[in-house]
Amino acid sequence: MQRPIQKPVGTPEQELDTPALSVDIERLDANIATVRGPARAEAWVHKTPAIAHRQTAPDAVVGIAVRSIAEAEVFAAAGFTDIRVLRPLVTPPSRRRAAALARSIHLVLSDDGIPLWGLDALAGAVTVSARVTSVPEAGRAILDCGQKAIGRDFGDPEIVGFEAYRASAGSAEHGGVAYPKDATPFSIGDWLALRPADMATVFSLHDFAYGIRDGVFEAVWPVSARGAF
Amino acid sequence: MKIGTPVEELETPVALIDLDALEHNIGVIATHYRDKRIRLRPHGKNHKSPQILAMQIAAGGTVGGACAAKVSEAEVFVNNGARNVLVANQVVDADKVRRLAALAKRVPTTVAIDDEAQIERLAAGARALGATLGVVIEIDTMMGRGGVRSIEHAVKLARETTATPHLHFRGVMSHQVPTQRPPTRAQRFDEGGRYIEHVVAAKRAIEAAGIPVEIVSTGESWTYDVAATFPDVTEIEGGSYILLEVPYAFMDEFRYALIIMGRVVARPDARTAIGDVPIDAIAAPNGFPTVEGIDGVSVTAIDHHGVTLSCETTFPLAVGETFCLLTHQQDMTVNRWDRFAGVRQGVVETIIEAPARGCVN
Repeated sequence: MQRPIQKPVGTPEQELDTPALSVDIERLDANIATVRGPARAEAWVHKTPAIAHRQTAPDAVVGIAVRSIAEAEVFAAAGFTDIRVLRPLVTPPSRRRAAALARSIHLVLSDDGIPLWGLDALAGAVTVSARVTSVPEAGRAILDCGQKAIGRDFGDPEIVGFEAYRASAGSAEHGGVAYPKDATPFSIGDWLALRPADMATVFSLHDFAYGIRDGVFEAVWPVSARGAF
Repeated sequence: MKIGTPVEELETPVALIDLDALEHNIGVIATHYRDKRIRLRPHGKNHKSPQILAMQIAAGGTVGGACAAKVSEAEVFVNNGARNVLVANQVVDADKVRRLAALAKRVPTTVAIDDEAQIERLAAGARALGATLGVVIEIDTMMGRGGVRSIEHAVKLARETTATPHLHFRGVMSHQVPTQRPPTRAQRFDEGGRYIEHVVAAKRAIEAAGIPVEIVSTGESWTYDVAATFPDVTEIEGGSYILLEVPYAFMDEFRYALIIMGRVVARPDARTAIGDVPIDAIAAPNGFPTVEGIDGVSVTAIDHHGVTLSCETTFPLAVGETFCLLTHQQDMTVNRWDRFAGVRQGVVETIIEAPARGCVN
């Protein structure tokens, strides 16, 4: 379980314990407002009931889609009543779990023709924070955010505001940034925001996402279905 | 997961640890170090589990504590019995330094530095809590990550650390990986030995400046035997050996102990199967997982919905049957699972909890 230093609501984003997974609430809500229905929100991407509740608020969104019966159980417990499970259920225990769930919610186990609505909701809203822990030579800074905090299965992140520099999550525990040797953009202790290459990966690595509004921490959202493979 | 359940009856995907292989791997280093001065500092990042750390310490040949990549990871191991801890990384923000200083009031706690700015930050946090933090200088040998780039810089940092109240200079550390894959035994000893020699040279330069050096922490699973031939080296930071991964199989004295078991959920055609292991359940930054134990079957795709298995002839498994995958980067795989089924002879014998999973802070 991720064990960050907990800070009170109202804390500036830059003071949250790094690495932190952050979601810009206004950006998220603006993205959600563009949805055209009917649609089923792909909640498996973020595994976070608080985000799925915002996604299903518009009337156009009829329910959510998840990958596994275990994810469906988590979202049902969080109050969702219309859930499609995308993966075929091939074992008797998983079918019994589905039958039990279907007593209390509308559980969909095949394609019901309602289009899936995936990554658009999160576009541009998600970052992972990092701090510079070392500047060991000219043209190179080391970050405290590596593969275990941002993932690398689908590529390297980008640094917000420093898109021209090559960022990497090449190591498990460290990130790195390469920049021209005569530039001195970073000092030890500096705070940076990284844009992950892949949404579903980054949400599979964190137990909490922080809802941020105007640069200030507003809510902590458990990534409740993380690990419910 | 019920104790006594046959493995093939488990719901999938599931992370299995082969207990015979785990115990064998622990025994290899414990036996090799039994009559030597060098110790193993078990790296917690590779298993995230105080249960496994306790097995490593009980087997002998260790420092009795842990290595950790992060402060929050170090806390989990100290809270669960590690008698000392080394955070093999730079820690710079004031909150985390205080957290580290709080740990230092409970057990000997050491952290790696590579810059003067870290000395001030660590000293401030330790002073605030009345703690003393151990410090090792990280020496870059080949990774190009953290770590001083010259021995002169290491000596300068050792001097400044020694002169700083609330810090206790303890020694030097480094981490490296083989550039030849797979290396022969001779290449391991040659390349690994060169990196270790560089760290030993830094140690001797610091001693020549009149500063005692008690820790020389260099070497890891692929050089556990190389490092043992250097009398100056006091410990290795070993982790990959415990569960192993495909690119590390050149260390053939170790066995695969980590298996991700999945099930076929669809058979789109005669030669192809879709399995229920999504990429986030195994992680694949170093290439597709390897299928274990089924000849002619390989992974040809993996994404967030599952894994595609292909066979040159008729695919041997039906929907509902299980298959086993080996990872190409075990610490990334471990970091996706909160617990593992410890299995022996095809039956679940114990549940191994991994409470340090997700400790990225």
